[in-house]
Amino acid sequence: MEKIAAKVREVAKQALASGAVTKILGWETGEFWYDASPVFITDEKAADSLIWDAFCVTNLSKYLIKELKTTQKIGVFLKGCDSLAFNQLLKDHRIDQEQVVIYGLPCPGMIDPEKVKKAGLHQGLLKVKRSGDELTFVTANGEKKVSSRSFDYDKCLRCRYPNPVVYQELIGEEIVRETSNEDRFADVSALENLSPEERYDYWTKQFSKCLRCNACRNVCPACSCEKCVFDNVAAGISGKATVDSEEQFFHIIRAYHVAGRCVDCGECSRVCPVGIPLHKLNHKIMKDMNELYGTYEAGVDGADKSPLVTYTLDDTDPFDGHRQGEK
Amino acid sequence: MSVEATKAVSEIKSEFAPLIVAFCCNWCSYAGADLAGTSRLNYTANVRIIRVPCSCRVNPYFVLRAFQRGADGVVIAGCHPGDCHYSTGNYFTRRRFSVFTNLLEYLGIEKDRFKVDWISAAEGNKFASVMNELLEKVHQLGPNRKLRDSRWKR
Ligand code: SF4
Ligand code: SF4
Ligand code: SF4
Repeated sequence: MEKIAAKVREVAKQALASGAVTKILGWETGEFWYDASPVFITDEKAADSLIWDAFCVTNLSKYLIKELKTTQKIGVFLKGCDSLAFNQLLKDHRIDQEQVVIYGLPCPGMIDPEKVKKAGLHQGLLKVKRSGDELTFVTANGEKKVSSRSFDYDKCLRCRYPNPVVYQELIGEEIVRETSNEDRFADVSALENLSPEERYDYWTKQFSKCLRCNACRNVCPACSCEKCVFDNVAAGISGKATVDSEEQFFHIIRAYHVAGRCVDCGECSRVCPVGIPLHKLNHKIMKDMNELYGTYEAGVDGADKSPLVTYTLDDTDPFDGHRQGEK
Repeated sequence: MSVEATKAVSEIKSEFAPLIVAFCCNWCSYAGADLAGTSRLNYTANVRIIRVPCSCRVNPYFVLRAFQRGADGVVIAGCHPGDCHYSTGNYFTRRRFSVFTNLLEYLGIEKDRFKVDWISAAEGNKFASVMNELLEKVHQLGPNRKLRDSRWKR
């Protein structure tokens, strides 16, 4: 990845120097070994701080919404999942393609720091390097090489679009990545097989952890309204009490609001500080929509319509259980 | 079972007066309810009707709020597909609430408490029977506790 990182800096410098863009959005090293923070760069010289490593997981597309209001032309680095988010934002008219130059980054997968910690490999860790599927953990006492598969984010193990679906310039070669052949909706099926009481307990326990920190909303590229129902006090639906019903309300509405726009990036679950598996709600909606209305993948094709904003005359009518009375 | 126990059970049952909230579209189902009324059909008195311009106007959060604030069952009633006053509203209703119903079930909430149905202005009978049927189901399930706000007293 270091070769590509050098290219990233190169590309950024050129773009700024030539005036093709006035700002670059990329990642820079953060405080800790697992940190890669989004950064805006306007000065050529500062482009040297740009990185591309195993922790550039933050989706940069969402930052564009706000940024494009004040920046005329911006260059941005997007991985596969970020590019899906980009397409979705385009479709939702949140951003303007004309203002953006996309540098596509084929993505080998990102490393989940939690998995590293679980394996106890974080002690004394200085740096993690990735090359293909090989990870090198650098500590003060030397280096340790391991295979990346057991440290990849779950979302990366399921990833079907490691190569960006939209870009002006691709940096590096397209890559082929094996997706786990586990059923994509296995997590949903597992829950569906439980009894209603078990499901209720499961979700109530999960929801009760929620802090209402709104990180899941802030990070989600499908969650892009400027004025959100949850902030609208006048609507009387912004209850934030820590009682079951308000928590259920928040989570059901959050998941449902992004139905048909969720690009399955798994960011909501990743950023949740208390580990609520939010994407399992979105997965359920996706699974059902696919089963009922045919396969649909948000963000892959910029032109197709979400199943919930369209219809066909002969849709199934699952409510038609009513047999008595006149018809 | 002792005599006292039987008595206690029957008391609980008789104390439970389910509340059903029905969102009825102005053009068909509300008129259907009217017809049921003017035809003096016998249907449960536990229904509270909320008139909406179209079944498609019902935001999923209306349903959740109804459950939170004391409803034991919720119905959304609209014109039959093809008969919408606005041509297409109920087609959207159909898709949205198919997905929404499944989501509720996924969260462990009994599907039987919630119903979407098509009731035309001429179907007073159907209106009455849809309400009665839901009431019957809700009676079997007992009071809704899963979505109810614990601060809400009724
Ligand atoms: S989901 Fe795919 S594109 Fe996104 S970080 Fe993981 S491997 Fe890369
Ligand atoms: S709901 Fe979660 S998985 Fe879906 S787009 Fe938003 S952040 Fe990504
Ligand atoms: S990120 Fe987690 S804790 Fe924060 S609001 Fe979302 S679900 Fe709740």
